[in-house]
Amino acid sequence: MTEEVESLIRKDYAAGFHSAIESETLPPGLNEDVIRFISAKKEEPEWLLEWRLKAFRAWQEMEEPTWAHVHYPEIDFQAVSYYSAPKSMDSKPKSLDEVDPELLATYEKLGIPLHEQEMLAGVAVDAVFDSVSVVTTFREKLYEAGVIFCPISEAVHKYPELVQKYLGSVVPQKDNYYAALNSAVFSDGSFVYIPKGVRCPMELSTYFRINEMNTGQFERTLIVADEGSHVSYLEGCTAPMRDENQLHAAVVELVALDDAQIKYSTVQNWYPGDANGKGGIYNFVTKRGIAHTNAKISWTQVETGSAVTWKYPSCVLKGDNSVGEFYSVALTNNFQQADTGTKMIHLGKNTRSTIVAKGISAGRSDSAYRGLVRINPGADGARNYTQCDSLLIGDRCGAHTFPYIESKNPSAVVEHEATTSKVSDDQMFLCQQRGLDAEKAVSMIVNGFCREVFKELPMEFAVEAGKLLEVSLEGSVG
Amino acid sequence: MSDFQQTALQLAEQQQSPEWLNSLREQGASTWAKASWPTRKTENWKYLSLAPLQQYQQLGWGAAADSHALDEVEQLQLDATRLVFINGRFSSEHSSALPAGVVRFGEADDEQRTLISQHLGRVVDSERHLFAALSNAWAADGVLVHVPRGQRLEKPIYVVNISTPQRTPVAASQRLLVVLEDNAEVELIEHYASDVHAQNGFVNSLTEVVVGNNAQVQHYRINLEQEDLLHVGGVHVNLQRDARFHGFTLAQGSRLKRIDYQVNMLGEGAHLDLNGIYLPRNRQVIDYHTNVEHCVPHCTSNEVFRGIIGDSAKAVFNGRIHIHPQAQKTLAELSNKNLLTSRTAEINTKPELEIYADDVRCAHGATISQLDETSMYYLQSRGVSKADAITMLSFGFINELLNQVPEQAVQDYLRPRLVSLFGQASETVGQIGYE
Repeated sequence: MTEEVESLIRKDYAAGFHSAIESETLPPGLNEDVIRFISAKKEEPEWLLEWRLKAFRAWQEMEEPTWAHVHYPEIDFQAVSYYSAPKSMDSKPKSLDEVDPELLATYEKLGIPLHEQEMLAGVAVDAVFDSVSVVTTFREKLYEAGVIFCPISEAVHKYPELVQKYLGSVVPQKDNYYAALNSAVFSDGSFVYIPKGVRCPMELSTYFRINEMNTGQFERTLIVADEGSHVSYLEGCTAPMRDENQLHAAVVELVALDDAQIKYSTVQNWYPGDANGKGGIYNFVTKRGIAHTNAKISWTQVETGSAVTWKYPSCVLKGDNSVGEFYSVALTNNFQQADTGTKMIHLGKNTRSTIVAKGISAGRSDSAYRGLVRINPGADGARNYTQCDSLLIGDRCGAHTFPYIESKNPSAVVEHEATTSKVSDDQMFLCQQRGLDAEKAVSMIVNGFCREVFKELPMEFAVEAGKLLEVSLEGSVG
Repeated sequence: MSDFQQTALQLAEQQQSPEWLNSLREQGASTWAKASWPTRKTENWKYLSLAPLQQYQQLGWGAAADSHALDEVEQLQLDATRLVFINGRFSSEHSSALPAGVVRFGEADDEQRTLISQHLGRVVDSERHLFAALSNAWAADGVLVHVPRGQRLEKPIYVVNISTPQRTPVAASQRLLVVLEDNAEVELIEHYASDVHAQNGFVNSLTEVVVGNNAQVQHYRINLEQEDLLHVGGVHVNLQRDARFHGFTLAQGSRLKRIDYQVNMLGEGAHLDLNGIYLPRNRQVIDYHTNVEHCVPHCTSNEVFRGIIGDSAKAVFNGRIHIHPQAQKTLAELSNKNLLTSRTAEINTKPELEIYADDVRCAHGATISQLDETSMYYLQSRGVSKADAITMLSFGFINELLNQVPEQAVQDYLRPRLVSLFGQASETVGQIGYE
């Protein structure tokens, strides 16, 4: 049966095409000049250049982390190009009509709506192509509501006081190796500010696309939700199929001030490499949010892509009564490796956190949940519930759980449970005996396994995520 | 090399040991000398500081002495073959006559020497367990328990290790090797005790157990030691086909106590069950690491650990289950529950699963909380005082495991001693203590 299941998981990567777009790409290598070049290209103020250089110097002193349960050849950081932008973007097109049609065609092919009138009503998109933001839709409409949604390179000029105040406040430059690298060379990304008491009128979303060869993508996202505001943000990503490994090291910072709510959803579908484990994206991401009094931060992620994933979206529950949530589905197939999970740091009183992590391993892949729940002495009445389930499809894959639980407060209640199982013959038999074919049956079982997480996703994404799992699992059932 | 590493090596040189152990000692010394000293960045020692050890600039070997703890040990009323070590020195005065197959290393005959050389230091991986390397370097005296094919030792083997108060710091090395041939059976109790007065000592203990096909071990490791005695110990077990290891462990006392259980499932159908209780109080630190390697199919393991952490104490629990690719049809479970009873107490727990086979059923769970409010309310509403309610609920939390201890004498010995930890001299203590 295993072979049959496996033959059903083999999948095609639909977003694997390359767009022939003329780009201005920096030659590979990393030194202070490169950082000065990026900074100059973005016409950044002096303080930001200094900020980058400080990060770069710290990065040079740091060592690449090796504790994760992933294996990959050493990365030559001098062989990566740190800046690439479509040439046509040099002239800074004012409207969508001026944007290179080839660029628009790329997004159309990916199914990302950039034309406001055609798009799924209610989703504003910031499209980031290699190192620059191509277009941000619905800006006027959002502006009316007081919401700022723009590329971070633009925000640096337009809203310097906000950027300067919050940039690096959640993930400091020296936080970890990849965060330091990102702080030094970050190119573009989204900036969101929701003013006091505003409920953002539509879903915000950023779509990341790596196109150029040998480049790395280093975007930086900063979301600030002011007191009593509410925002839901989606993130998607794809890359062409290539035999070389490409690097993606992003930083996402969320600030939820008193009574604010941020919901951050990711559907990560970077190129995972081919069936023999060749190529694919190295996805080394630092995501963290800080929740003030009565605030809530919710992370939802569906991870199906990347050759190697190293990602731990975290919540620092600083204010009293703040809430952190983490819902994750990580699917690995072929030779993919994922080491992902979350950190919940309880500082305030009556803080609550929920972790639901589902790992599905197929082929010869490895997926690991690594999480930290820390209850500090001041976190009276803190509450955490963690559930990690792994599903194994095939006998050559691995599923691992590494939960760290630390408590220094007697009034806190922490629960953790983890299980591992496989798609059982009985389940398959039941479905098939009811007239479903093997592939449908596996898809149904897997979808059922992930249901708890999918129901947290915004509707449009939930449908996409369900489909994504189907393609990803195609050919893996037996 | 850290100061303590050097001190420990010097100590090895001052030791008298049988010549035929030399190669093991040299091997151990070189691994110990080469090993990098654990820091907070060393995953296996992340939550446990070895700083108290480093304070021992000078360390000597202990001498036999009389101890009040002996009277206390007498309370365990068990018809057993007793071997008593005081400060690491064998005390023939307090020990029973040894049955065939049980012998101290120094008195082993040729056949037994061959057996010891064959197994001693082979069950444990001293590259991965730093203090096992030290134990090899310090190998001198020890006990071999050998049960031939199809036999069963009539009386349990009861090994008592007592530490007495010392003016200058002393070290003690405890070594136990158990070899069970096919279909053999043994019951083994390791008891670590100490006088109530300040200790000033370091105990490094290592037990290796080789369990043949269809053989069975009932093992107890009871650590009831005084506050400032430092103890690092390990129990390393190899299980062959259909072998069974039933373990029970209890830890209390010590400013630094680290106990490793390493169980290797090497034959199909092997089974492990292991229950553990840790009760650190005051400023004690207790660290339990368990690691079960499921290397072959059709094995089962079940671990249950419970801890109550009070005052400014700290507990660490790390339970790893590793399922190798061939180990299909494995059933592995682990549960770790903790009660924190003070604002300054701390618990760090990490149940780990590493699974490379698909047709397995594995689960682990961990919880941390305080005494259930509704239960407290219920008892108080029935007229039970708050203090008694705390005692009853705390004791009830670990009593479940105590009730499963097959050896009645061990239950009877431990119950009153554990109850008294949760409430002093109340009537309830007397009642539940001697139920």
